[in-house]
Parts: sequence; C-alpha cells; structure tokens
Amino acid sequence: MGINQLNTTGELTRGRRLFIYVGQRWALMFLIFEFLVFSAAADGFFTARGVQIIFFFGTAIFLLGTAETFVIITGGIDLSIGFVMGFASVVSAKLIVAFMKAGMGEVWSIVIGIALTLLIGLIPGYINGVLVARFNVPPFIATFSMLGIAHGVSELLIKKGAAKNLPHLANVIGNGYLFYIVPGKGLSFLTMPAIRRGEKIIQLIPNVVVITFIFIFIFGFILKRTKFGQHTYAIGGNIESAIKAGINVKRHLIKVYMISSFFSTLAGVIYMLKYITGKADAGASFLLDSIVAVVIGGASLYGGLGTVRGTILGALILAVLETGLRMMGVSTFDKYIAVGVILILAVLIDQYFPEIIHKEE
Amino acid sequence: MSNESITVKRKRELSGVTAVLAREWATVFLFLLVVIFSFTGRGFFSLNNFQNVLHLSTVFLLLAAGETFVIITGGIDLSVGFVMGLSSVLGAKVMQIMQAAALPQPLSMVVGTIVGLSISIIPGWVNGVLITKYNVPPFIATLGMWGITNGITLKICQGFPVAYLPPKLVEIGNGFLIYIYPGKGVTFFHKPAGVVGTQIRELIRILPFSIIFSTAVLLFLWHLLKNTKFGQHTYAIGGSMNAAIRSGIDVKKHLVKVYILSSFLAGMAGVFNIFQTGVGNFTPFSAMYELFAIAAVVIGGASLMGGKGRIVGSVVGVILLAVISNGLSLSGVEPFYRFIAVGVILIIAVIMDQLFPDLF
Repeated sequence: MGINQLNTTGELTRGRRLFIYVGQRWALMFLIFEFLVFSAAADGFFTARGVQIIFFFGTAIFLLGTAETFVIITGGIDLSIGFVMGFASVVSAKLIVAFMKAGMGEVWSIVIGIALTLLIGLIPGYINGVLVARFNVPPFIATFSMLGIAHGVSELLIKKGAAKNLPHLANVIGNGYLFYIVPGKGLSFLTMPAIRRGEKIIQLIPNVVVITFIFIFIFGFILKRTKFGQHTYAIGGNIESAIKAGINVKRHLIKVYMISSFFSTLAGVIYMLKYITGKADAGASFLLDSIVAVVIGGASLYGGLGTVRGTILGALILAVLETGLRMMGVSTFDKYIAVGVILILAVLIDQYFPEIIHKEE
Repeated sequence: MSNESITVKRKRELSGVTAVLAREWATVFLFLLVVIFSFTGRGFFSLNNFQNVLHLSTVFLLLAAGETFVIITGGIDLSVGFVMGLSSVLGAKVMQIMQAAALPQPLSMVVGTIVGLSISIIPGWVNGVLITKYNVPPFIATLGMWGITNGITLKICQGFPVAYLPPKLVEIGNGFLIYIYPGKGVTFFHKPAGVVGTQIRELIRILPFSIIFSTAVLLFLWHLLKNTKFGQHTYAIGGSMNAAIRSGIDVKKHLVKVYILSSFLAGMAGVFNIFQTGVGNFTPFSAMYELFAIAAVVIGGASLMGGKGRIVGSVVGVILLAVISNGLSLSGVEPFYRFIAVGVILIIAVIMDQLFPDLF
C-alpha cells in the first residue's frame, strides 16, 4: 500500500527521518543493544573468545535459518530441517566409522563420508519438493511427514550401535581454529602448536564458522544476484504470474527444497564434527529458532520477502541471546520466553510500520 | 465452469461404495490395521489392550479436538503441547504445596485442577487477540506462545517433574468403573477389598474413568461443532472469511473463542496428565504433541486451508496413530518405525484428499 509513499512525499522532518532510519534497521539496533547489555552484564562476553563462542554455537541456527529462508520466500515452510540435520549427523558418523573399519585412512574416510552424506542429504529435500510441487501436498504436511521419517530412520541407524570411535581428525577439524597465536613465539595455521603448561595461546576463527559462512555467502549471492534467486522471489510473490512468466515452478520448488535439505545436512555434518558423534535429535530444538531468525530477518510466511542477510542478523540476535544468558549464568529457560516475545514483536513491527520496513524496495 | 465441476462431481458420486471407502479411508485403514495386528501382535486383540490404547490416547484426543476447531477456521495452533505442559506443571505445583501443608487431598486436587484449567485460558486468549486484533499470522502467534509457555513452564518446574502430590490422584486417573473378580463378585469404582498381589491379575477391569471422561468431552464438542451456531460459524469462517464477515458474524470475537477453546482443551489434557501419571510433567522438546495432534486432524479429513474437518474424523486419526504404535510395539517392531509410519500415512492422507477433493 504505502511502500513508496515516503519516497514520493519528499520532505520529511528530521525526527521522522531518524525514526525511519532506526525502524528500518531495528533488528540491527536490537542486536547492538543486546550486545551492549551482555557486554556489561556477562563476564568474558566482550572478548575475542566470547564473540567466537557466539559464532561457534550459532552455526546450526545460521545454516538452518538459511535453509528455511529459501523455502519461506517461496511461501512454503520446511519443518523437517531439524531432524534432517540429526539424520545427517548420524549418517556421516556411521559412514566415517564404516570407512575407517574398512581400512581407509582418516582423511579419506572423512572426505568421502562427508561427500556421501551431502549427497544422501539431498534425498529428503527431493521427496519434499516432489510432494509439494507435483502432488500438491501442503508444505506443512509434506515436511512434517519427512520430519517423522528422518527421525525414525536415524533412530534406527543409531540403534544398531551408536557411532563411536570417530577419528581424531574429526575433532581437530570440528573444534579447531584457523589461526593459533602463541604470544612471543609466532603464528601457526590450522594446527595447534605444542605448548607448555600454563603458556597462553590465542585461537582465532573456528574452522566450522569458516565452512558455514562460505556456503552461506555462496547461496546468499545466488539468492540476491542470479536468475535462480529472482525466480524464487517471483514464485513467492505470485505463483500464478510466475507460471505465466514461463518459470518452471515445479522444478524450481523441488530445487528450493533440495537447497533447504542440503543446508540442514551441512548443519548435521558440522554437528558431527563439533561433537564427534551423531544424534537423531541433534537439531530438534532449532526448528523454532530458525523460523524465528527468518521472520526477524524481514521474511513473511506468505512468501515473496526475505534475505539471507536478514536471516543471519536474526540468527545472530538469537545466538547472542543464548550465549549471553549462558555466560551470565541465567537458566536458558528465559531464552524460550525471550524468543517467543521477540518473534511476536518482529511481526507486530512489520504489521504496523510496513512502509518503514520495506521502504528500500 | 460451475457446470463442469458439477458434472465432475456427479461422475465421482456415481461410484457409491468406492466413494464411501475413499472418504472413510482412515476408518477402513484403522479396521485393517486392527485385523492385521490381531494376528501379529501378542495380546493386541484383548479388552485390556483396547482400553489401554484409548486410555493412553486421552491427551491426544483432547489436543486434536481443540486443534480441529482451529484448523476448520483456517488457522493453526502450535502452542497446545506446551500449554498442556504449563497447566500440568502449575496445577501440580499448587497440589504439591497444598499437600505439603497437610491439607485434605480432595481439596488440593480440586484447587490444583481449577488453577491448571484457568491458566490455560490465558495463552489462548493472547493467541486470539494477537491473531484477530493485530493481524499476526496464526502460525507466528502460536509459535511465539510455544516459546513463551515452554519457558514459563520450565521456570516453574526448573526442568524436573513436579512430584510429591496427593497419592489419590493416580487412583482416580487410572481407575476403572467396574471391577469383576471372577467367581467372587463385582465392585464399582474401587478394587474389591482383599485382593492383593498376584490376585490383581485375575481382576477384570472395565471402562477406565479416562475413557468416560474423554467420551463426555468429545460428545460435547461433537455437538458443539455439528449442531450449534458456534459450530456453523466456525465452518463459515474457514470456508470464506469475507462471506462470514458479510453475513454478520463477529469473526474476531469468534476466533478468539476458538483459540481459547483449543488452549483450554490443552489445559484439560495437562491436568488429566497429572491424574494419569501422578506428577506434573513439563513437555519435552522432542514430544511434538502439537504436530501429532495436527497430523491426526489432517488424517481425519480436515484441510489446513480451513472449512473442512470433523470431530469424529480427528478421533479416528488419533486412534489410528495410537493403534499403529501400540500394534507395532506388540508385534515386536522397533518403536522408531512409528515415526516413519506416521509420516507415510500422513502423506497418503493428503494425496487421497487431493485425488478425491469432492468426496470430503
């Protein structure tokens, strides 16, 4: 309705302009506010280590949020992401252990195990996509069914013996850092230098964060700059006109659900690397968080809106909240209340100031 | 256009028996499963087991019945699982405190029940107001309430079940109407005196209180949805929101009532849960009560687009899911196949709905 109203009305008062400026960036402002509060309230929050912890523990929300972003832009929803993540953590752990047993080296077991898992992880997405696009099953139902199936299959896999004895290298990758600095001695890359007891070591940039953001940047670029991204928005905006414009909507939707399940799988693989185990319910609690992140990031569940950048901002708000509360020693029970309130607030702001939020378009 | 659809409808109406079978596929499927499990499951086909299945389904029956109303209006309520936990934990907490103060058991049970039921109205009211007054999509409003009620529940119980409640609770929650002790006599409400140890096994127990309770609630809701103005308005809103507004229905007020009803039934489920287990249980993350309730409603023939759904259908949906897990476990199948089975059946349900849209 009033999307471009403010551009065309010309002169705006200074206060109004500031209001709009802040309103458009309310998520960012909130993140900064949150960051300041925790820096003051929580010991060790405002340190290189504290910030890295936020990103390290946030990887799952970042990845699942990105997965959900694509689906929500098309006007759908993917409830299966959490359990596809768990499924991937189990499958990758199992495969790597199996390859090790078959006498492969550590490096090859991990590389081939992960590559295979990423391929297998496309299957749930493909099925979701086919059900949604070809059989007209509502996304809510199709992906909920997939949630049950992924959960059941991964529990069954685990039942035949939990994946133990993952190679040490998995731990090195999952909990390692890109740079290690020993003050006064120098810098080493990827491998932890041998240090004496009591010697200080500075670790910078966790590997898993790097992996996470490489993929997020690639797909953020695809969404923003390519035809694929344009089509995704077009389908969410108005599916009829997308069809009329000659977009192969069915095929496109299948791809979108496959992207979603690819990111969930990646989150599962990273979980496996971080915790050196596979767990069926590894991602169960992240479903709410990822949808909240996407909605805070400015997406609408009716489709057509949303950006990867916004989602990452939303995910950061949640990750900072969780890490901050944990460092303050407050029970994380408060987190659920806060997340619920933030979610509703995000939508209310969107409802009441649509011209502010979407002025850029 | 309309002529065309009418002829299509006629064509499909022709195949009488097939039509009924397709519409009632869930019931047919349930019947088939009961037959199959009677052969494969040890002790499946017995009065005890059937009563047990229904007894354990009570919570889901209540949740699904509430969800039916919401889904018919075209909405969704994701908060029911955690509202249930909230009622359960808060009601139990009150009972715990009163029990510790050595107050009479019936008094603490009544007060705890009232508190548990009353608290459940609040989330529903907030959901309804957010959805109608502030235009928050139902998915978001109830998902937010999902987080809020979960957090409050966990704060109350600190992540542990609330125990040390009046011991009478379990007797009521797991009691039966009729006890028959073969050759010795029949008693009502209580186990016959003097039956101890292994003798209990010989006791035939008929009609758990839980079944009587859930049947009464469901009959009331069935009547409410089918025969009253409230039910008509519910369908009208789901069929076409605009038409409902034009025909003079106070849609906003009605929707608030529907969300309160759903939430209140979740509270009822929570309080029942105290009686059943004897402790106040918080809802664990992986329980996903709300999703299973929604699944049952959809299997029962409702559409997430609104306007369609029946209490009887939802009841069949719940029992179908319960029979699957009960039958599989009695047949010695790993319990995890249950999740897979639920997923597959749900997909079948919707595809059936797609193939025969006119029948439902």
